[in-house]
Amino acid sequence: MLGQLILSGIATGSLYALTAIAVVLVFRNTRTINLAQGDFAMVGAFLGIYFLKQLGFSYYTTVLLVVASTTLLGVAVEWLIMRPIAKSDWLTLFTATIGVFYILTGVMGWIWGRDTKAFPVNFDPTPIDLGGALISMGHLYNIGWALAIGVVLYWFFNHTKQGIAMRAVTDDPEIAHLMGIPVKFIVMLTWGVAGFIAGFVGILIAPIIYVSPEMMDEVLVKAYVAAVFGGLYSIRGAVIGALMIGVAENLAGGYLDSSLKTSTAFIMIVVLLAFRPQGLIGVQKRREI
Amino acid sequence: MSKVPITKAASNNLESSPKYAPVRALKQRYTRQNLIAVAILVALAILIPLLPQVKGWMLSQVSLVIIYIIAAMGVAVLVGFTGLVSVGHGGFLAIGAYTSALLTKYFGVDLIIGLISAMFVSAFLGALLAVVFVRLSGAFMAIGTLGFAFFVGTVVNNVSIFEGRDGIFLDNNVILGIRIEDFGFYYTSVASLLLVTLAVYCLVNSGTGRAFMALRDSENAAKASGVNRLLYRVLAFAISAGITGIAGALNAHVVNYVSAEVYADIWYSVDILIAVVVGGPAILFGPYLGGIFVVMLPFFLERLADFSFILKGVVLIAVLRFAPAGVGELILRPLRIARRRKLRSVAAGLRESEVG
Repeated sequence: MLGQLILSGIATGSLYALTAIAVVLVFRNTRTINLAQGDFAMVGAFLGIYFLKQLGFSYYTTVLLVVASTTLLGVAVEWLIMRPIAKSDWLTLFTATIGVFYILTGVMGWIWGRDTKAFPVNFDPTPIDLGGALISMGHLYNIGWALAIGVVLYWFFNHTKQGIAMRAVTDDPEIAHLMGIPVKFIVMLTWGVAGFIAGFVGILIAPIIYVSPEMMDEVLVKAYVAAVFGGLYSIRGAVIGALMIGVAENLAGGYLDSSLKTSTAFIMIVVLLAFRPQGLIGVQKRREI
Repeated sequence: MSKVPITKAASNNLESSPKYAPVRALKQRYTRQNLIAVAILVALAILIPLLPQVKGWMLSQVSLVIIYIIAAMGVAVLVGFTGLVSVGHGGFLAIGAYTSALLTKYFGVDLIIGLISAMFVSAFLGALLAVVFVRLSGAFMAIGTLGFAFFVGTVVNNVSIFEGRDGIFLDNNVILGIRIEDFGFYYTSVASLLLVTLAVYCLVNSGTGRAFMALRDSENAAKASGVNRLLYRVLAFAISAGITGIAGALNAHVVNYVSAEVYADIWYSVDILIAVVVGGPAILFGPYLGGIFVVMLPFFLERLADFSFILKGVVLIAVLRFAPAGVGELILRPLRIARRRKLRSVAAGLRESEVG
């Protein structure tokens, strides 16, 4: 029972982790808390339905197309909306992403309606025995995808020019600029990576929670909490936080009361902020905002 | 005799002399422009029900505007005057609503008592929450408060006394033993709004308000001047939560029904924040404009709910880009420029008379 709850907690947590990584990436490069991050994934899920059902593409073609479109969406949002106000204070940047959130919710609701839809690819509930703990195939599949994306991101940040430049911008945008890094392009790329991650999240989460304009609200709030675990700055911290939230809420739901499940994240964040306002993983916050 | 440089300190000294009476009068007149705008808007609010179309459902929509303005006033105390950000004031809206609803249901209290107790309960919980949250820097506080709204949502959804999605139905509103109908309720809301606005105006112009603004403008300078950061921030948070609590209580009584369906929605909090940002957070009548915007936009586009979402987003982004201090600022800016010009000409006149 315990092992099972932990495993499925890790499975949900890994999807929170992906969203949290995107939140951290955008925040540390642009000081923007991206409220539209969940909506990028929501758009991805809707496009997934469209590609699979209306156009009849295969699953992997769909994944490819969805990720490409959400990446473009992230880039477009940066270019059209965030860039002109990039120098504003963080509240302005944050409220601008609320605007993006409203527009995306409105557009998706307008095109595809507000009612929830089932995703054409089903969640595979076949139980798999992992050393005594049962886990459904679908959860295992999600963990696998999350790991794969994690590896790709790791490679990107450590072994590609753009990824290293992105980290340099995180450390100090001015010095990065002096070193000849095209900071504007890198910021655009950051939003692109956020969209890239959101595309996968949308496709992976859609079979679990159904597709509707509001589908990502809960996931997003939890991803935020996870991001705070890493001080909104450390990706490792965010991932650990996300997995902890996933496991903790599953345990609370399993052993205490199912209604407690969704409040777990908030209780964790209050306790965390009360004792370690800088986040769990000791990152020195470079910029006060 | 050489020209007297009018430095800040010198002008302060000079200002108290009778010769500078015209400058003083001008200054006073223009700090009152905020109050004048508020007076116009409140007069409008009082007169609107005289229109024959405004009755029944339409009247409750107008009441909703008033309620949103009150809630936004609460957030404006925080965002505009203290420099803290809350994305969780929907939580206080819920706390106010349920406080008043439960008191009315189980003790049959007067609407006034309901409103006042909603304010105090909300302010108290706000102060508790603030002790944890106000030490955080902006972004962390935003996320923490968003989590709070989410938490309140799950509590009202799951704890049995709040009756979850079934909701609590209330009897008709009673003030001092008299049953009030729609119009009576509407004017109760307007009266609450007026009181809240006056309270905020007095607060902003008091020593406490100046301490808030000092914390907003320069935390270190405020600290050096002996402003207790924790105390004043917790106080600001409590006041802000209390005001939003009143709005919550009114929101419960406008339809005489509270349900988790409404209050578990965290986007309420976002809506209130948007009302403040669009109207102008540091402007007394900013929340008025924002409240009208947030409630009336979906109302006029009732059949096009999704389109109203899109329009809301577009307007918000446009405001942030072209009028970052809010729509209220667009209205005040010409007045401010005129004021500066007049002050300058008066000062020039005085300087000449001194030189002569």
